[in-house]
Amino acid sequence: MDNKPRGTVKVFGGTPLIIICVIAIALLAILPMTGVITSNGQRYLLKIFLYCALGIAWNLMSGYTGMTSLGQQSFIGIAGYALCVVTTTYHLGYAMGFFVGAVIAGVISLGLAVILFRMRGMYFAIATWVVAEALKTWFTSWSYVNMGGGMSVTVSPYPRTGSIYYMALVLVIAAFIVVYFLLKSKIGLGLTAMRDDADAASSVGVNIFKSKLLCFVICAVITAVAGAIFYLNKGTIYPSAGFDIGWTVSIVFIVIIGGIGTMLGPILGAFIYVILEETLSHYPGWSNIILGIIAILVILFLPDGIIGTLQKKLNFEIFSQRRFSESKAKKKIAAKSE
Amino acid sequence: MQIVISGILLGGIYALLGVGMTMIFGIVKLTNLAHGEFVIIGSYLSTILAKAMGVSPIWSLIITVPLLFVVGIVLQYGLINRVMLKGSEPALLVTFGLSIILQDAMLLLFSADAQHANISFIKNIFGRENISLPGGLYVSILDVLILIISLVTIGVLTIFLRKTYLGKSIRATSDDTQAASLMGVSVKKTYAIAMGIAMATAAIAGMCVAMRWTFYPSSGGSYLLIAFGVVVIGGMGSIPGTLVAGLIFGIAQVAGGANYGMLISYIILIAMLAIRPQGLFSK
Repeated sequence: MDNKPRGTVKVFGGTPLIIICVIAIALLAILPMTGVITSNGQRYLLKIFLYCALGIAWNLMSGYTGMTSLGQQSFIGIAGYALCVVTTTYHLGYAMGFFVGAVIAGVISLGLAVILFRMRGMYFAIATWVVAEALKTWFTSWSYVNMGGGMSVTVSPYPRTGSIYYMALVLVIAAFIVVYFLLKSKIGLGLTAMRDDADAASSVGVNIFKSKLLCFVICAVITAVAGAIFYLNKGTIYPSAGFDIGWTVSIVFIVIIGGIGTMLGPILGAFIYVILEETLSHYPGWSNIILGIIAILVILFLPDGIIGTLQKKLNFEIFSQRRFSESKAKKKIAAKSE
Repeated sequence: MQIVISGILLGGIYALLGVGMTMIFGIVKLTNLAHGEFVIIGSYLSTILAKAMGVSPIWSLIITVPLLFVVGIVLQYGLINRVMLKGSEPALLVTFGLSIILQDAMLLLFSADAQHANISFIKNIFGRENISLPGGLYVSILDVLILIISLVTIGVLTIFLRKTYLGKSIRATSDDTQAASLMGVSVKKTYAIAMGIAMATAAIAGMCVAMRWTFYPSSGGSYLLIAFGVVVIGGMGSIPGTLVAGLIFGIAQVAGGANYGMLISYIILIAMLAIRPQGLFSK
């Protein structure tokens, strides 16, 4: 298989793909208004969108830059609490809450980066988790956020599921576009080079610290906004739930199943995850066991995830961040046939 | 002074938590994110066996230690050796998946209620729970007992690794996997035995946890982080380092009290990771 020239990889892109995306987004935007997607359907889709965004952000870190974080819940919890504090303690709107949450998450990620970027691999993974646990412990005994008693979002009029649905849709699209163009840019090339061999990348002039920092902050902000939307929908937050490692468990599952290091992986993964979760909710207690077994089986037998395996087997790429242009590939093939 | 004494006594259990983790870290080169769950499995087994047989939890070790040793060997042979061929990140994520499965399996089997091992045997034997020392200080008999168990376990393990052939082959694999395998050491077998030993220490640590604190199916995560902290502060694969790190953690816990004990430990851990990730006693 590897003998085939690179040019035979089919790259789906360009105008047809953009048209498909625009149609899909338009359908997702218009159908809820016409009532084809019921409020129950909106509830499911809202969840899928949020997990999509979380997956896209984590995939950027782990799949493309090799920083496996187990502490995404830090930013979810911070944003959830920011939303509650802004709306309840300061009586401001939820838009302000989103903004404050995203800014705080961004600033904290900048600060954490200084410490965390000294570590690599498993040290980084565990350190991110320790940070989240430290935050959980701190929030549980911090009277400003009502300690372990939790806080709730106070907004009136409270936005309906319908409008929260659109916020989540916008977030996914924004996250996808930001990550896609980041990877397409020169920084993205540096990032993937860094994932594959950090020392080699650094020696040919990739500014590792700056590229990693950019990724880490973008990831933190996307995760924070997703967390804020989630808690706007939920209404109440507790330290044990906001900073729960369960968040990262779900995100890891989504990206692994879908395909780590692929653009579509997290999207497919989020669909599968939410459908599985809703189906398994009839068997309380079993859902995580089954999800865990599926994740281990996928790592054992489909290490590239569903999308990754399909791409390898069928030799195609969707939303490729790689830099082989279609015209060049065609020219190569044409030259050979002559 | 009381803080230092209580902290030192607690240090033993923290060292014991870390010793299994440090073996896996140093020898198999794997971060076992399911170590906390293994400890809690040990806690449940000890509590249930002791209750069923009407003996003190310490006797349950006769069953739990060999049992978890075998489970560890099977796990390493059947699953982890295979994933490790794919690289360190998939292996990390598999142990993560394992920890989720085990945690929820325990939740199904044992419910979310708090559990505690029966420690009335201490009162029956000694007639009291604390021993007074001069100067108004006191020590808890239970803590002394746990410290002794920890020290004996760590001591036996050290002697095993230093003196026996098997122990030497394990250390050789840890130092240079390739050279050891060229000298005729079966790396897969060594990994399996190391995992078995780590699980056996988890069984002992679990029994101590069950006697010392109440525990839940979800407690594994916090013990994993303690074990990881001990490993990082002590230095990967260093057993004496583990002891010192355990003491540091013990004192931090007692000094910070119920609210801030864990927070102080986490901050020490993050600071340590940032400043000296190779640990205090690295090779």
